[in-house]
Amino acid sequence: MKMKNLDKRRKAAMKIWKAFENNKKPVIIVGAGTCGRAAGAMETWVAAEETLKELKIDAEFMEVGCIGPCYLEPLIDIKLPGKPRLSYSNVSPSKVENIFREIFEEEKIPDRDFVGTFDDSDDDGGLKKFWDHPMLAKQERIVLRNCGIIDPNSIDHYLARDGYKALEYALAHEPEKVLEIIKASGIRGRGGAGFPTGLKWGFCRDAPGDQKYMICNADEGDPGAFMNRSLIEGDPHAVLEGLVIAAYTIGASKGYIYIRAEYPLAIERLENAIEQMIGTGLIGENILGSGFDFDVTIKKGAGAFVCGEETALMASIEGKRGMPRSRPPFPAQSGLWGKPTTINNVETLGTIATIVRRGSDWYSNIGTENTSGTKTFSLVGRVRRTGLIEVPMGMTLREIIFDIGGGLFRKFKAVQTGGPSGGCLSEEFLDTPIDYETLAKAGSIMGSGGLIVLDDNTCVVDLAKYFLNFTQSESCGKCVPCRVGTRQLWEILERITTGQSDIEDLDKLEKLGTSIKRSALCGLGQTAPNPALSTLKYFRDEYLAHILENRCPAAVCSELVEFRVIADKCTGCQSCVKVCPTNAITGPRSEPHNIDESLCIKCRACYEACRFDAIAGDAIVITSGTAT
Amino acid sequence: MTLTTDRKNKKMPKEELINLDIDGKQVTAPKGVTVHRAAEINGIYIPTLCSHKDLTPYGGCRLCIVEIEGLRGYPLSCNTTVTEGMKVTTENEAIRDIRRDVLQLILSEHPSTCMVCAEKIECERVLGGTVRKSGITTGCRWCPNETDCELKKLVELLEIEELDYPTLYRGFEKEREDPFYDRDYNLCILCGRCVRMCQEVRGTAILEFNYRGPHATIGPAFGRSHLEAGCEFCGACVAVCPTGTLFEKASKWDGTPDFQVVSTCPYCAIGCQLDLRIKDGRFSSAVASHDEVVNDAQACLKGSFCLGEVSHHFSRARKPMTKDGNYWREKTWDEAFDIAVEKLKDLAPGDFAMLVSPDMTNEGLYASQKFTRMVMGTNAIDSTARRSLSGRLGLWADLFSRPISIRGICNASRILVIGLDTRFNFSIIGVEIRKAQQKGGKLVAIDPRENNLARYSDLWIQPGPGYEGSLLKALAGTDADLKSGAKEAGIDSELLKEAREIIESGDDLTIILGPGVFHYSSVNKLIEGITAFASKDNTTILPLYTGTNARGAMEMGTFPELLPGAMGRDHAETIEMFEEKWGGKLASDEGITVDQITSGAKRPKVLYLAGAVPFFERPDCDFLIVQDIYEPDFECDLYLPASSFLESAGTLTNLEGRVQEVLRVEELRDSVRYGRARPDWWIFSQLAKKLGADGFDYEYVTEIQREIADVVPGFPEPDKLDREARVFETPGTVPVPEAIGNPGKVGDGKFILVLHPEGYTHRGISITSRVEGLQILNPENGFYISQADADSLGVEEGDILEVKVDTAVGKAQARIEKVLPEGVIYLFVPDSLGGVGGRKDLDNLYRLEQNPVKVEVTKSAL
Repeated sequence: MKMKNLDKRRKAAMKIWKAFENNKKPVIIVGAGTCGRAAGAMETWVAAEETLKELKIDAEFMEVGCIGPCYLEPLIDIKLPGKPRLSYSNVSPSKVENIFREIFEEEKIPDRDFVGTFDDSDDDGGLKKFWDHPMLAKQERIVLRNCGIIDPNSIDHYLARDGYKALEYALAHEPEKVLEIIKASGIRGRGGAGFPTGLKWGFCRDAPGDQKYMICNADEGDPGAFMNRSLIEGDPHAVLEGLVIAAYTIGASKGYIYIRAEYPLAIERLENAIEQMIGTGLIGENILGSGFDFDVTIKKGAGAFVCGEETALMASIEGKRGMPRSRPPFPAQSGLWGKPTTINNVETLGTIATIVRRGSDWYSNIGTENTSGTKTFSLVGRVRRTGLIEVPMGMTLREIIFDIGGGLFRKFKAVQTGGPSGGCLSEEFLDTPIDYETLAKAGSIMGSGGLIVLDDNTCVVDLAKYFLNFTQSESCGKCVPCRVGTRQLWEILERITTGQSDIEDLDKLEKLGTSIKRSALCGLGQTAPNPALSTLKYFRDEYLAHILENRCPAAVCSELVEFRVIADKCTGCQSCVKVCPTNAITGPRSEPHNIDESLCIKCRACYEACRFDAIAGDAIVITSGTAT
Repeated sequence: MTLTTDRKNKKMPKEELINLDIDGKQVTAPKGVTVHRAAEINGIYIPTLCSHKDLTPYGGCRLCIVEIEGLRGYPLSCNTTVTEGMKVTTENEAIRDIRRDVLQLILSEHPSTCMVCAEKIECERVLGGTVRKSGITTGCRWCPNETDCELKKLVELLEIEELDYPTLYRGFEKEREDPFYDRDYNLCILCGRCVRMCQEVRGTAILEFNYRGPHATIGPAFGRSHLEAGCEFCGACVAVCPTGTLFEKASKWDGTPDFQVVSTCPYCAIGCQLDLRIKDGRFSSAVASHDEVVNDAQACLKGSFCLGEVSHHFSRARKPMTKDGNYWREKTWDEAFDIAVEKLKDLAPGDFAMLVSPDMTNEGLYASQKFTRMVMGTNAIDSTARRSLSGRLGLWADLFSRPISIRGICNASRILVIGLDTRFNFSIIGVEIRKAQQKGGKLVAIDPRENNLARYSDLWIQPGPGYEGSLLKALAGTDADLKSGAKEAGIDSELLKEAREIIESGDDLTIILGPGVFHYSSVNKLIEGITAFASKDNTTILPLYTGTNARGAMEMGTFPELLPGAMGRDHAETIEMFEEKWGGKLASDEGITVDQITSGAKRPKVLYLAGAVPFFERPDCDFLIVQDIYEPDFECDLYLPASSFLESAGTLTNLEGRVQEVLRVEELRDSVRYGRARPDWWIFSQLAKKLGADGFDYEYVTEIQREIADVVPGFPEPDKLDREARVFETPGTVPVPEAIGNPGKVGDGKFILVLHPEGYTHRGISITSRVEGLQILNPENGFYISQADADSLGVEEGDILEVKVDTAVGKAQARIEKVLPEGVIYLFVPDSLGGVGGRKDLDNLYRLEQNPVKVEVTKSAL
C-alpha cells in the first residue's frame, strides 16, 4: 500500500498563506470568536466596510478566532501591503472611522487603542509588539498557537502552519509508535482529572473488540469557562487532527464530538472543518492511503452540565437520558454502545498534533515534573485583564493573576479554580506552582481551566451558595447524595447567608460535604461540595461572621446588609429616587435622601446609580453589621 | 411491595463457583454475579433500595456500599462483580456512617414525620392505623405501604431516630387519573426500579426520569398521561416499587398480606403464574410470579389488577335461586337439585343441550361432558370455545399437535407476527418479542392496524383486513405466489419480498398468529399458509386464541364431535375404552352445537348454560338452567352459583399444553354473606348422583384429575403436575377443516367492518363490566375508526355511529384510533355477552356471518 502525502496540497496552501502574509490589498482581520462578537465585532465589521467604501479602499476581510485578551475585544488588526499586522483593541463601530482615516489617509499609526504589531523584527521603528503585551508576554502558546492568527474556516491556513503533518507522520507509522510518543510526553487529560492520556489510549487499544469509538468531549459547562469554545472557534483543525490521530492509535473507526448546542459558532466551525477534511481526504475511507477509515459525527448536547461526565455523555450520545453510571466498567472496556471507547477533552486533543510533530522530549520539558506541558485557563472575575491564556504548568497563581491578569481593581481575596467542582484558594496559595497535585492538595482541582478571581467585594459564602445552587440544579437526580445532599448543602448555605443559622450548621456543612464526596456516584457529586468545603476551610472567619454576628463582611448577602445614605455626600440629585423600584427612597431635590428600610428590597439599583453619578459619588453605601 | 416467591433461589444454576470472603466468612457464589447477589445467596444482608435482581445495576441509592480489599473508596456491591479471593467487608463504622447519612438524605425528601416522631411508639399503640387516606402523605401513618416498607425497615436497621436536615416536601399532586394504580411521587425515592422495569424487562419505556436535580421525577415523557403514552398497565412497576409511591387502587389499604400462594391466572391461554396475596383469609392482590416456565414475573393488566374485583364484586350471585311463582327466591342446594332433577329426568336426546365456557377448569369441563354423555345420554354438549377456536376444530387439533413455546419467542432470531396487538391482551407475548429484538432478533408485523407491535417491528406490512392469510400463504410460496399474494392484498410486492428476505435470513422463524386472523370468515389461505410453513424446518407456529381453557375444552371433549383426549367419535376402540371406563353406553347422536342454538336451528327443551352466555336475550327453551358466578342479564329458571377461580381448585391447560393449577385461596363458609357457591365439578357430580347415575362419586377435585389422567393420554396425575408443555397425541381423528367461504366483501357499503375477538371475558360476563379500571380503558366498547374517516363523517370521539349491512344495524360510540387505516372500522366481539347490556344494539353485528364485511356508516342522532 502506498501512502499518499499532502505535499502537493500543502504547497498550494503555502501559496495561499504567503499571499496573505505578502498581501497586495489591505487586509482587515476581525477577532470574531464568540467573545469578540459579544463585544460587538460584527457591528464593527459592518462599520469598517462602510468606512472603507467611503474611503474608496479595496480591502479584504479575514475572520479569526479569539487571540486571548478578551477584555480588549473587539480586536481589529490591519495589515497593509508590505507592512506588519497592527492590532487595535476596543474598536467599537464609532472608533473605526478615526482609526482607518489615520491609517489609510494620513498613513500614520494611531497610538490610541493600539495593542501592538505582530512583526517580530526590530526594524519597525520602535512600535509596541503585540506579543510583548503584559497579558501575552508570559504565556506559552502551544494549544492556542493558531488561535487568532489563522482563518479558522480555512484548512489552507492550518496546513500552511504545519497542520496535519502530525497525522501524516502517525499514519506512516504503527499506532504503537504514536502511543509511545504520547506516553513519553507525559500529557495528562486536560478535562480536569488529569489521567495520563497515553495510559487511557493504551487501555482502549488493548481492549478486545472490533468496533471502538473515539469521542471528543466538548461539553464545556463550568460557569466562567470558555477555553474549549475558544479553541474550537479559533483552530478547529487542531482538535480534529488530534481526534483522528487518537482514533488511529486506539483503532477506532468512528468518532463523535459531543458539543453543547449553546456553542453555535463552534459547531459551525467544526462542521465546516470536517467538510474540508472530507474534501482533502483526511476523514473518510482509507485516509491518505493508509488503509485507516474514520468517520466523525457531531452530537449536540442539550445543555445538561452532567453530560460532560463521560458515562453520562455516552448515554446521551446513545439517545438515552444523560445520567452517569458507576464505573467500572470503564469506557475503555465498555463505553459507547458497550464498545471500547476513549473520551478526551478538546484541549487534550488540541495538543496531540503538536506533540507528535515536535516530539515527546520537547513537550515533556515544558511544565513540571508531574505535569508536563501547558494549560489554558479562562481568566475571569475581578481581575483587570480577563481572557483566554495558556501558561506552562508550574506557573504560580500570583504570576497568572498579577502578571498576566494585571492584578485586581481591589484587594485580592481568593481564586476559584475548577468551576463548580473546584475550590476557593486564599492568598496563601498564590505562590503555589500550579499542577494537578498541588491544587488537589490545596483542596481544589485543576478542572478544565476556569480561574475566577475574587476581590474583597465578594462574599465567599455567597459564592459557595452560587456554585451549590448550580450543582444542585444540574444534578441528574440519580444518586441520593448528589440529588438531595447538594440541595441540603445549599439549604445550609442559604440559612447562613440569610442569618438564620447557628454554629452547628458549620459542623453539618462539613459532615455532609465529606459524606457526599465519599458516597456520590459520579464526578459531579463527588466534587460538588468542594466550593463549600474549601471556603469553609480558608475563610472560616467569614462564615462565623455571618452566623455569630449576622454580618456579611463583603456586604453582599442581602438579608444581612442595609443601604444607607451618607448625608454629607448626598447632593439630592434624585438619580436613586428614579431607579428605586419600590419607592423606598424619598427626599426633596437638593436635600439628602432618605431610605425607608421597610420598603427596601436591596436590589442595589440605587447603589449602582449613585456609584456612577459623577456629582454625588458614593453617597449610598451598603453596610453590614457594625464593622463598617 | 416486594414479597416475592423466589423460585430462582431454590435451584442454583450449575455454574462455576467462585470463592470469596464476606465479613470473614468463606463463601461461594456463581461466577458473574454481583457482590450484593453473592451476599444475598449466602444469607448476608446488605441494605439497598434501588437494586433488584431482575434489573441491571443502577447505583442510585448508595446504600449498598462495601469495602473491598484492593479497591479504592467504597465500591457499590450491586455493581461490582465477584472475583476469586475477593475480600468484602459489608459493615463497619465508616460504612454505617455513610449509610446513615445517605438514608437521612433520602428521608429528608420522603415524608417521614412518623419515623422520627417522638410519639412514634405511643401512636402506633393507640392509633393503630386508623387515620388514613389523607390527601397528603406526611408520614407512614398515611402511607399505603406502611406495614411493608423497605425504607422503614432500613430506618430501623440503621437506627435513625432524628433527621439532621429539614424536610424538603416536594408537593406533587397525587396522580389518580389513570386506571388500576395511584401514584404519589412525594413518596418516591427515585430508585429507578420502575423505570428500569419498564425499559429493560417490558421493553416499553413508558416511564422515564423527567427533569433534573431536586425536580427530578418519574413519569411518561412530555407530561402525557400513562394512557396516552401507551402504558400497558401491566403493573410490573407497582410490583417493584419499594415505597408507597405506586399502589394498586383496589388493594391499597389492605396492609401486609398474611401469606401468598402461586396460582394460575384465569383470564387467558398464556396461563401466567401469579402470586396471590391473602389478607385475613381473603384475596388482596396479585403479582406476577417469578416463574421460569411461563411468565417470569410479568403479567398483563388482567392478571395484575382484575382478579379481586371480578371475584369479590357485590353483584356476584352466590346462592341457588329459582323462580317461585312470580318471585325469584333463594334455595338450598337440595331444593335446587330437586327442581333440576324434576326437569332433567326422562329427557330424550335432542331435548337437552349444555353449553360450557372455555374459562372453566379442566375438571369442570370433564364433569360437564361426562354428565351430558353418561347421565343425559346425549352428545349435546358444546362449548363457546368453538367461537374462540374459530377456523374449525381440526385446524386447532393440528396446531396443538405441534410444540408451542411462549418463552421460546425470546430466543427466536426471526419473528413474523400477524394480526396481533399486545398492548393489553397477550402482553407477555409482546415482552418476549421485545426481548428477542434486544438480542438481535428481527420482527416483521402484518396487520391492517399500526398497532403496538407494528411500531416496534423492523418491517410492517399493512394489508387490507382479511388478507393476512393470503400474505402468509404468499410468503411461504414462490416468487410468483409472492406477486399474486401482494396483488390480492393490494400491497407492494417489493415489501413482501423484503419481508421474506428478513424472515429467511435467520436461523429460525417463529410465526405468531393473533386471534383476529382466525376470526375471518374465510381462513382457507391462512390454513394453507400455516400448513406450508409448518412443514419447514426450524419454524414454530404460535397460534393465539381467546378463551382461557379452550385447549383444555378440546382435550376434555366438551364438543359433540370430540371425546376426552380430543378423540373423534369415529373410532370403535375409543368408544369401547370409554364405555368400559365410564361403565355405560356412549350416546351416538349428532349433538347440538352452539351455533345451532343461537341460530334457532335446534331447540332443546332444557338448556343448561354452564358459564357460557352467548346470548343477549333468553334463548328459546322450556327450562333454562344457568350455572355461573354471576346471574345472566335475562331471566332463567334455575340459577346455580359456581365458585370463582379464587374459591375453587382445579387445573387449566395453557396454549402450550401445560396443565397448571388454580388454587383455592378463599375458603368461604356457607353463610348469608358468603353464600353457597360450589365448584362446577361438584355441581355436575351432585346432580348426576341425584339423577341416579354411577361414576360421579367425586369428593375432591383430585379424584376427577385422576380420572382425567386415566382416560386422556399425557394428562398428568394430580400429584405429578409437572407443568410440562404437551402436544395433542391424537391428530387426524378430529374432522379436518373443510373449505370455508371466500374472502368475500358482502354488503355494499363504503367501509369495511372487521369483527375482532378480544379477551376481556370470563365465563359468562365481560370483566369490563365488573372492573373499574377496565371501564376507564373500556377497550372493547364502540367502533374504532380512523381520524380521517371521523373527519369525513364529521364525528368526534364519543359520537354515536350507526353501522348497517343488509338488515343488520348496530349502534355504538365512535372511538378515534390513529393506528387504523382509512375506510376500516373495528368492532371487538366478546366471547360471552353477559354483563354487556349496553351493547345489545350490536347483537346483529356480532352475529354476522361474514367478516370482514362492507358496511354503511353514518353518524347517528342518538
